[in-house]
Amino acid sequence: MTETSNLHVAVVGGGPGGYAAAFLAADLGLKVTLIDPEANPGGVCLYRGCIPSKALLHVAKLIDESRHAKNWGIEYADPKIDMSRLRSWKDGVVKKLTGGLGILSKQRKVEYIQGRAAFENSNTLRISKAGGSDENLTFDRIILATGSRPAIIPSLKLDSPRVMDSTSALDLSEIPGTLLVIGGGYIGLELGTVYAALGSKVSVVEMLTGLLPGADRDLVLPLHKRIEKSFNSILLNTTVAAMKEESTGIRVTFDGPEVKEREKVFDKVLVSVGRKPNSEIPGLDKTQVQVGPRGFIQVNKQLQTNDPAIYAIGDAVGEPMLAHKASHEGRTAVEAIAGHKVAFEPAAIPAVVFTDPEIAWCGLTETQAQKENREIKVAKFPWAASGRAMTLDRTEGMTKLILDPQTERVLGVGIVGAGAGELIAEGVLAVEMAALAKDIALTIHPHPTLSETVMEAAEVFFGTSTDIYRPKKS
Amino acid sequence: MTEFKLPELGENIDQGDLVRLMVSLGASVTEGQPVMELETDKAVVEVPSSVTGTVKEIRVKEGQKVKVGQVIFTVENGAGAKVKAVEPQAGAAKTPAETPAPVPKAAAQPATKARPAAASPAPPAPVAAGATDFRLPELGENIDQGDLVRLMISPGSKVSEGQPVMELETDKAVVEVPSSVTGTVKEIQVKEGQKVKVGQVIFTLEGAASAQPEKVKHAPVEHISEQHEARLSLQAAIQAEGKTPAQVFLPDQPRPSAPKAFAMPEQLGKVAGTEHRAPAPAAPHVRRLAREIGVDIYDVKGTGPGGRISEDDVKACAKSLLTSVAAAAQSAQGRPFAQPALPDFTKFGKVERVSMRGVRRKTAHHLWEAWTTIPHVTQQDKADITELEQLRARFAPKAQEAGGKMTVTAIGLKVCASALKVFPQFNASIDMAKEEILYKQYINIGVAVDTDRGLLVPVLHDVDKKNIVELAAELTQLSKKARDKKLTPSEMEGGTFTITNLGGVGGTGFSPIVNFPEVAILGLSRSSMEPVWMNGKFEPRQVLPLSLSYDHRLIDGADAARFLRWIAEAFEQPFLLSVQG
Repeated sequence: MTETSNLHVAVVGGGPGGYAAAFLAADLGLKVTLIDPEANPGGVCLYRGCIPSKALLHVAKLIDESRHAKNWGIEYADPKIDMSRLRSWKDGVVKKLTGGLGILSKQRKVEYIQGRAAFENSNTLRISKAGGSDENLTFDRIILATGSRPAIIPSLKLDSPRVMDSTSALDLSEIPGTLLVIGGGYIGLELGTVYAALGSKVSVVEMLTGLLPGADRDLVLPLHKRIEKSFNSILLNTTVAAMKEESTGIRVTFDGPEVKEREKVFDKVLVSVGRKPNSEIPGLDKTQVQVGPRGFIQVNKQLQTNDPAIYAIGDAVGEPMLAHKASHEGRTAVEAIAGHKVAFEPAAIPAVVFTDPEIAWCGLTETQAQKENREIKVAKFPWAASGRAMTLDRTEGMTKLILDPQTERVLGVGIVGAGAGELIAEGVLAVEMAALAKDIALTIHPHPTLSETVMEAAEVFFGTSTDIYRPKKS
Repeated sequence: MTEFKLPELGENIDQGDLVRLMVSLGASVTEGQPVMELETDKAVVEVPSSVTGTVKEIRVKEGQKVKVGQVIFTVENGAGAKVKAVEPQAGAAKTPAETPAPVPKAAAQPATKARPAAASPAPPAPVAAGATDFRLPELGENIDQGDLVRLMISPGSKVSEGQPVMELETDKAVVEVPSSVTGTVKEIQVKEGQKVKVGQVIFTLEGAASAQPEKVKHAPVEHISEQHEARLSLQAAIQAEGKTPAQVFLPDQPRPSAPKAFAMPEQLGKVAGTEHRAPAPAAPHVRRLAREIGVDIYDVKGTGPGGRISEDDVKACAKSLLTSVAAAAQSAQGRPFAQPALPDFTKFGKVERVSMRGVRRKTAHHLWEAWTTIPHVTQQDKADITELEQLRARFAPKAQEAGGKMTVTAIGLKVCASALKVFPQFNASIDMAKEEILYKQYINIGVAVDTDRGLLVPVLHDVDKKNIVELAAELTQLSKKARDKKLTPSEMEGGTFTITNLGGVGGTGFSPIVNFPEVAILGLSRSSMEPVWMNGKFEPRQVLPLSLSYDHRLIDGADAARFLRWIAEAFEQPFLLSVQG
């Protein structure tokens, strides 16, 4: 093992992958420099992703529930929305978090440079600092945590304030009367939910046959049903052929077998067709780093690139583009640099869609098992049988376990319903610990909570669920 | 056009590593002319051509494994050429996939530059132009290392493909290893006297920059999940719009840089190749433990419910791996070689630790094996060789003529051959597993030869069918070969009995160790003049001490006494040989 204690590591990019890597490196006693264009670490996740969107989704849920309260005998007047206060609250959350990260990095004596990095060679970065000066710095190891950015479809590119990407949508400059969301993925649906709650008539267009491609259909169905009501329309199997700006809005031309209305004008359009890795780092050609055909930086399981001095993590190296995957990768990369025998080999990476209801899954999905022709058993517990769901008036949810038929081991968990994102953590733990259905069934879950649905799903597998009578299939 | 195919080389030899080609395109070959040097697991052999003509096309490369029946080259003007009838084997021309170099469980071999560490099978020894370093090529089956006896190059010297660059001592033979690369030696990474493993870098070449980048590299892979689908759908959409992704997304061209070869440590390469394994039924900290101690979690059998792998399972697996690795290492060389731990000798004075070299190592293992397997008994006797000595002096010139030396050992060969015919249980082996005795219908006698490399035992075949003069000549020749390090492994095989003569050194008797799987060995000590009671008085007689060690499992004491007495008498009355032998 090489002497690792004196290494100087640079982390390029201060997102959840980058700062997690930088902080761990500092904790392990390495010298660390963290480079990011923002004043504080945080990256897309904190500045224009997970955190601000969740703040807004919380508001959306509140508005939605207040409307829903009518059914419970409580009626509120229509909410008065003070956009600037909403914005400043959201921005406050972001500021508090990113400022906290700035302090954490100072406490750890991480050298934080606000600027942009370009490669001079495998070990040297030319850093253009925010102040305008340039500096060449040499490091023993460099971790690229450059993240991703919203993908754009050039043919639909329209330089207009009416066309937003996720970043500008989160700025919340106004509430449009009508909004078209292009792309039925999680970003489009989450932001669509926010705007719908704030009063926009939201339409979503997805070129595939269902929302949230990749997720199991039975998980998507309750969501689909609910947003059918809250959204203006859901256009599936439909593509956007053209967009044109007019004085009143954006004229969008649709294409597809089920299109009834070929053209429609929207006040605003949100393009959320995925994200693109930031791998066009200046000077990368001076290193041995290789970039794959889809723009992902190629790494091995230690997150090391083709260039032995350079590691890469997070969105820049591959799917899923999720903050928690990036942080885990960042920590793995640092441990590898520190000489530990580690590998990024999780059994489950949870995915959560923060719509209402939420959808969350981890490990093996039914869709994937089908694709791989893998034999599985599925145990489902409908929330209609959950007392807690009933008290929340949210019985559309469902919890399911994907099990190995021989060992009865939990291979995957899928949940749809209110708070699914919190519930999935138990599923991740079950998969990572190689828990058996019986382990879950025999674990006492608190009553009355939604977490019981996980235990009950396991009971369903054995045909012994308290709240469901379903004889075990022989 | 005639093809020359690798002829049969011997029993159980169906392939070898091509060490050196002695022909080139356009060269003319004649039948019987050596055309290649092939290293089998037994020895390096020169293979003679069975065809005559001009070499048209060479279909093999040095360093490559060649199978019996595989076409080596083709010749034109094959008129008069006799093609050996070798059945072309189906697919024989296809080089078998190289067995991957044994991947050390722990990173026993440090990562070195230019080492492709893909999970794909290790490529054959680097070939000529592209290579930047020279690694020890495969030397044969079961030979994975050797002691570097001599380096024939130094930094700055030029090497060309095929040029011998080092002498390596493997368990039995010393082989010259030819370079498979051409260029100027930059750095030598081994030292004389050092153990060198197959695949280890011997030296690097200068001007590596001009070398072509290695194609095979570690295989970095994109992490793809089910959410990949979402991206695919986007791409599908783009295509639906009649565009290519390249038109839509600004192209992410792979950088045009020509990356220098870069190696991942073996472990990483291994990991990179196993991207799509379903998660193992083990908790994260158990998987981490496995990684740390170098156990592939997928090799571990879980004892928990549903096959769940516990920490203890990982440790147990590591333990069994270690023992099996150790056992494999030892079974390649012999039996478990356990011995009590050594005290710290340095407490008592200065100690030099020297690694056991090839022959010593082999001898140690082999004799340990023989000693622990065979219940030894040594029978002593004396032979009056006064008369024999007179005969010996008389026939010495004759043996000299034949190129040999009429020694007591040479005569002993003949004596023993005759004795073995009379006492077949001394020309046998024991199969304890099957509880059977194998009586050999041939008499091949090994003679222990003391060389500066250690003890070697060349074997004389069909001793019973040769006369003493012939035996003397053959023995002289073999002994010389042994001392000149020219003895090939095949010349040390197939013995049924062994003679060891320490008479040249001295001594009045000793207990030789039976050369397993043989069952007896005859030791000769120094003959001397002794007073012998004959015809009513003491007479000075030349007496040869005989020591017969035998395997008591097969041979009873009385039989041994009779056998040795028979030998003694044969020495005393050489006439017996022609009558009874």
